[in-house]
Amino acid sequence: MRFDVVIVGAGPAGAAAAYSAARDGLKVLVLERGRGAGSKQVYGGKVYSYYLERVFGDLKGAPVERWVRKERLSIADSGGRCATLEYEGRESSAFTAYLTKLTGWMMDRAIEAGATFVDEVRVDSILRDGSGRISGVEAGGESVEAGVVIDAEGVNRLLLEGLGLAERTRTTNVALGVKEVIRIGEKEIDARFGLEPGEGLSWIMMGGFTGGLPGGAFLYTNKDTVSLGLVLYVDAAARSLKEPVHSLIEGLRAHDALRRYWTDGDVVEYSAKLTPESGYRYLPRKLVADGLMVVGDAAGMLLNLGYTFRGVDYAVYSGHLAGKAAVGARERGAGEGVLRELYEEPLRRSRAFRDLERLRGVERVMSAGDRYFAGYPEIAGKALDGIFNLEEATPSIYEAVMGSMRGSDVSLVRMLLDGLEAVRSI
Amino acid sequence: MSARPQTMKVEELLQRTTWDVDPRPHIKVDTGKCAGCPTRACVVMCPAGCYTEVEGSIVFSYEGCLECGTCRIVCPMDAIEWNYPLSGRGVQYRTS
Repeated sequence: MRFDVVIVGAGPAGAAAAYSAARDGLKVLVLERGRGAGSKQVYGGKVYSYYLERVFGDLKGAPVERWVRKERLSIADSGGRCATLEYEGRESSAFTAYLTKLTGWMMDRAIEAGATFVDEVRVDSILRDGSGRISGVEAGGESVEAGVVIDAEGVNRLLLEGLGLAERTRTTNVALGVKEVIRIGEKEIDARFGLEPGEGLSWIMMGGFTGGLPGGAFLYTNKDTVSLGLVLYVDAAARSLKEPVHSLIEGLRAHDALRRYWTDGDVVEYSAKLTPESGYRYLPRKLVADGLMVVGDAAGMLLNLGYTFRGVDYAVYSGHLAGKAAVGARERGAGEGVLRELYEEPLRRSRAFRDLERLRGVERVMSAGDRYFAGYPEIAGKALDGIFNLEEATPSIYEAVMGSMRGSDVSLVRMLLDGLEAVRSI
Repeated sequence: MSARPQTMKVEELLQRTTWDVDPRPHIKVDTGKCAGCPTRACVVMCPAGCYTEVEGSIVFSYEGCLECGTCRIVCPMDAIEWNYPLSGRGVQYRTS
């Protein structure tokens, strides 16, 4: 059996690649290890719509839960004091969705466009011919030949590692996300989070919410559920966690600042996923080789700024570019040089990729460790307490901040230097 | 202040998710290598609690695996032979 394109993995990147290649008439095969498209998909909960609309046209019929109108950013100290910034926009550029369902919708679009979808097949290796060119894939002892293979295997790069095209993933390069979906009810969500019907909330939390560990917590409202999760930088967590990750997420559900939202809520699903901590540092050795293109998480296409996360939309766009490149490569042959010109170079020139490159400094700040995730939240908590929680004396903001730093091991100079560094890179 | 919700143990938490467990384990752990492990990071880092310490030894069960891949990354002993389940088996996410 021979296909113009064989795509490994029906995630957002693989589905977008299939859609774009099949629409231009290529013979496309998508192999997916899960049952149906979407059954192995996990993410936080919010997707920016720009690249999806650009690739799939309109999103009519897409399984959108709510369009995000309200954003919150909270920092808590270890004692449960919590400072929150809330923003309510007039326009919405992102929606919440279950990736399990959104991926199914994308794959359906690819099938309508003519792609062949085969699920419940785990690809065991990517094949090379005698000349070293990628020639197809192997699954369960059977092989399929391909004009070009698109690797959309996800963050665990078993196949790329097997080819020697990605180094073994290091703990310093990935974060672990765990998530609970809690059913509350549609009207209850509107009322409790102050939302109009169909409008959503996106809430990022730091500091005490992760037990002071580097990473963050998130909450996204779906129609009648919320997605509540934790993201922990694996290296720091593996070295300092004293309790298991699953008791940390349960502790988050019971957090003083959060539990009032779901006293009567029911946890309906628990999930976990590794994610590149910084996409730029997670680039594989090569994005293209003779007969091969790498897309999505496997290609490090994820931006993580601590307060903004873009993974699904970047995955879709990289998949789309690879699908288009496959069309050009059918005429010209899918050699490494051709694929670099048709896929890698357009990808590197894209705004998404340039932002990954440009903003990698923010990720360095975020991994500066304890001060950002434990030290500063404590100081902020105490300072705000000093400003708002008054008895006889009324301190100025300056006095409250200075007072909050007493007893902290962070000096004013250190804080100012970190502040400058943060502002410069953010 | 609202009442503090009961926190669930991992066994109960995992019951909220759906599986089609493959009788063939998709992950194999050479627990003999765990004796000399300086970190035992798998025990705290596995979100499904698949790795537990029993009388000083590591005991592994694959049934509740969420297929995240964390254990493969944090194991310093190269004791884990990791892959995904075959034939569409394993975890079946619906709302993630």
